[in-house]
Amino acid sequence: MRAPGKRRKATLAVLIASAMGFFCWALIEPPELSVRQSAGYPQLVSVKQLPDFADLCEWPSEDKSSITRLEETRQFELQQASVYAQNGTATTVDVTRPPVRTIRDTYPIYSSVAVDPNFDEVILQDNNLWATAIFKRTDNTPPNVPFTEPQRLIKGAETDIQFNNGLYVDPKIGEIYSIESDTGDKIVMFSHDSIGNVAPVRHLETPHRGYGIAVDEERQEMFVSVEYPPQVAVYRKQASGKEEPLRVLMGDNTGLHAIHGIAVDSKNKLLYINNWGNFSNFRVPGSGKFNPPSITVYPIDAKGDAAPIRKIQGPKTQMNWPAAMALNPDTQDLYVANDVGNSILVFKATDQGDVAPTRVIKGEKTALSNPTGVSLDMKNREFWVANLGNSSATAYPLMASGNVAPARIIRSAPLGYKSTKFGKTEAVAYDTKREEYLVPN
Amino acid sequence: MAYARLAKENTVPVRILEGQKTLISRTMHSMEYDAVRDELVVNSPLVQSILTFKGGSNGEVPPVRVIQGPKTQIQGTDYDGNDKMAIDPVNGEIFIGSATSAGPGKGVVLVFDRMANGDVAPKRILGGPKTQFDFPTPKGQGFPHMTVDPVRNLLIVSTRGGLLIFDRAASGDVSPKRVIKGPKTLLTAGNGGGLIKVYSPNGMIVSSCTEGSICAWHIDDVGDVAPRFKIPVQKLTGVNFSGPTLNPLHKEVIVTSSSRNVIATFYWPEIFETP
Repeated sequence: MRAPGKRRKATLAVLIASAMGFFCWALIEPPELSVRQSAGYPQLVSVKQLPDFADLCEWPSEDKSSITRLEETRQFELQQASVYAQNGTATTVDVTRPPVRTIRDTYPIYSSVAVDPNFDEVILQDNNLWATAIFKRTDNTPPNVPFTEPQRLIKGAETDIQFNNGLYVDPKIGEIYSIESDTGDKIVMFSHDSIGNVAPVRHLETPHRGYGIAVDEERQEMFVSVEYPPQVAVYRKQASGKEEPLRVLMGDNTGLHAIHGIAVDSKNKLLYINNWGNFSNFRVPGSGKFNPPSITVYPIDAKGDAAPIRKIQGPKTQMNWPAAMALNPDTQDLYVANDVGNSILVFKATDQGDVAPTRVIKGEKTALSNPTGVSLDMKNREFWVANLGNSSATAYPLMASGNVAPARIIRSAPLGYKSTKFGKTEAVAYDTKREEYLVPN
Repeated sequence: MAYARLAKENTVPVRILEGQKTLISRTMHSMEYDAVRDELVVNSPLVQSILTFKGGSNGEVPPVRVIQGPKTQIQGTDYDGNDKMAIDPVNGEIFIGSATSAGPGKGVVLVFDRMANGDVAPKRILGGPKTQFDFPTPKGQGFPHMTVDPVRNLLIVSTRGGLLIFDRAASGDVSPKRVIKGPKTLLTAGNGGGLIKVYSPNGMIVSSCTEGSICAWHIDDVGDVAPRFKIPVQKLTGVNFSGPTLNPLHKEVIVTSSSRNVIATFYWPEIFETP
C-alpha cells in the first residue's frame, strides 16, 4: 500500500503528464479550412510543424523575459491565423511556423561607461538592448542578488539609441552624450534627468563607425574618433544636426589605423588616440596592411594629414584590441581598456616606443571581462570599467595595480554570467562538422 | 563566435576567435565554412583582405592564409569596406565583391583560388556593363552576396532587386544566363544586404525578401516570378532578419538579425525536400 504522500505525488505526476500532453496536443493545428480554388494539379496547401523537440513542451521557465513570452504568444497567434497559400494563380506558399530556436542575450552588454561625480552617478551604455542605464555611483550588487536596478533607463524608439559605443557626461550639468557606431551614425544628447522613451535634447550627425567621444572643456570642443576611414572629427561641443566639424585629422601620414579610444589633455594641449592597426586606403586597391596596435599622440589642434608627434607601440605594451581611454590630468596617467587582454593598462602620457605599462590591472580577482569602457572619477579617486563580457561595471581605486578586487561592482546579470558578446549579428555560417553556428560581430 | 546548434537565449559561445593575432576587423558581413577542408573563410573588410582559419580555431590564433596586397586588386569603400564574400568548397574558389577606381556602380567580382596566399592576382574578374552589376552605391554600400551551385555549375550574385545567374566560371564582361527580377519576385532594392544560399541537390535559392521575410526561389526560375516559399519572419517575430544560411542535415534555415542581435532557426523541410 502506498503512503498518502506517495499517492499525492503519483496523482500530481498523472495530472502534470495529462496537462503536458494536452498542451502538446493543442499545438497541433487543425487542417486549414480556408476555401481554395482548384488548380487542377497537386499543390502544397499547408505546412505546419511543431518546433524542434529541443524546445517543445519544456517546463515553463520563470527566467524567460517578458519580451520572450510576448513574442512566443504572438508567434502562436499568428500561426493560428495564417493563410498558407494565396488564392488564384499565386504560387508562393507562406510558411508560418515560429522559429524552433532563438539565440539572443536578454541582458545588457555594456560597451562604455561614464562616471558623474557631480550627481554621484555611473552611466552605462548597453549596445545589446539599445539603452543607456544610470546607476548610483555607490551601488554595489551583492553576490546573492541577480542584478541591480538602474535609477533611470533611457530606452525606446524615441531615444534613437542603437549600437552605441561611446559615452561622455558633462561635468557640470550632467548632460549625457552617446555615440552610435553603425546603423545610426550620430551622437544623441540627453539632459541629466532624462528617463524612459524620450527623444534626445539634440543630436549631431557623425561619420559612419564613430566610436569614442572626448571633450576639451576649456575650448568647448568635442572630439569624435571614427574607426574607418580613420579620422578624428572635432566639433563645437554644442554642435547639432548636420553641423560640420571645425577640423578633421585624417590621412595616410596620421598613423591612424582602425582607431577606437580617444582622450584629450586640455592642460598640455595634446590628443591621444589608440589604434587596432588595421589599415587601408579605400581609394587604393590592395593597400591593406596589418600593423601592431598603438597609441598615437598629436597636438590638440592637429588637423589634415598631420603625423603624430609620438607613438606607443610594440609587444611590451600588451595592447590587444585597445578600446576606450581616459587621462588623469594630475598624474598624466593614461588608462586604456584592453578588451581582449582582459586588463586595464596604465601608461605615462609621455611614454614613447615599445614600453611596458607602468601599471596593469589584470587577474581573476579583478572581475574584468572584455573591458571596453573606462572613466575616471577624480573627486572620489576611483576609475570605472565597463565589461562587455559579463554585463557589469567595476570600480577600482585610482592607483590600483595588479590582481585587485574591485571596490564595487554593478551587475545587470547574475554572478558568473557570461555574455553572448553580440555586437551586430549581420551574418551566420554553419559548421557542419561541429554542428555550430559561426557568427561574425 | 561559435554557438552550439541547440543554443538558446543567454548561451555562452563555445568558441571565440578574437584579438590582434586573428587580423579580423569589424564590418564582416559574410563568413563561410568550408566543409570539404574544414576551414573558416572570412574577409577583413577594413584591410582589403581575405582570411582563412583552420576549422575549430579558438582564441587568438592567426589565419593559416591571408590574401592581401596590390596584386589582389581588392578595394572597398569608405562606408562598407568590401564586406561580402563567398566560397565554392567543391571547386576550391573564393569570391569577393570589390569596388574599382571607375567609381560607383562599377564594381566587380574577384575570384581567387582557395589556396591563394599573400599578394596574388585573382584568377578571374567578372564585371562590366553586360553583367548588370550596379554596386557600390554612391554612398559606398550594396556589395553583393554571392553563392555557387556546384551541381549546375552556376554562380548567383545578388543585385538590388534581383538575382543574377552566371556560369560559375564566367569571366570578364559577360551577360548573366538568367535574371530573377521584378515585383512578383518580392526581391527588394535592399536585397544586396541579405545572405544568399542555394541548396544544390534541388536548386532552391534562399535569401531575404520584402517585409523582413525570407523567400525561396528555384535556380531555374527566370524573370518576374513569385517565390516558391516565404517565411514572413518579421511578422512572426517582430524582428527584421537579414540573410539565411542552411543546415540540410536538420532541414533548418538559420537567419540573423543585423538590427537586433538575434539569430533564429526555422525548421523548413520544403527547402530540402522539394524535388
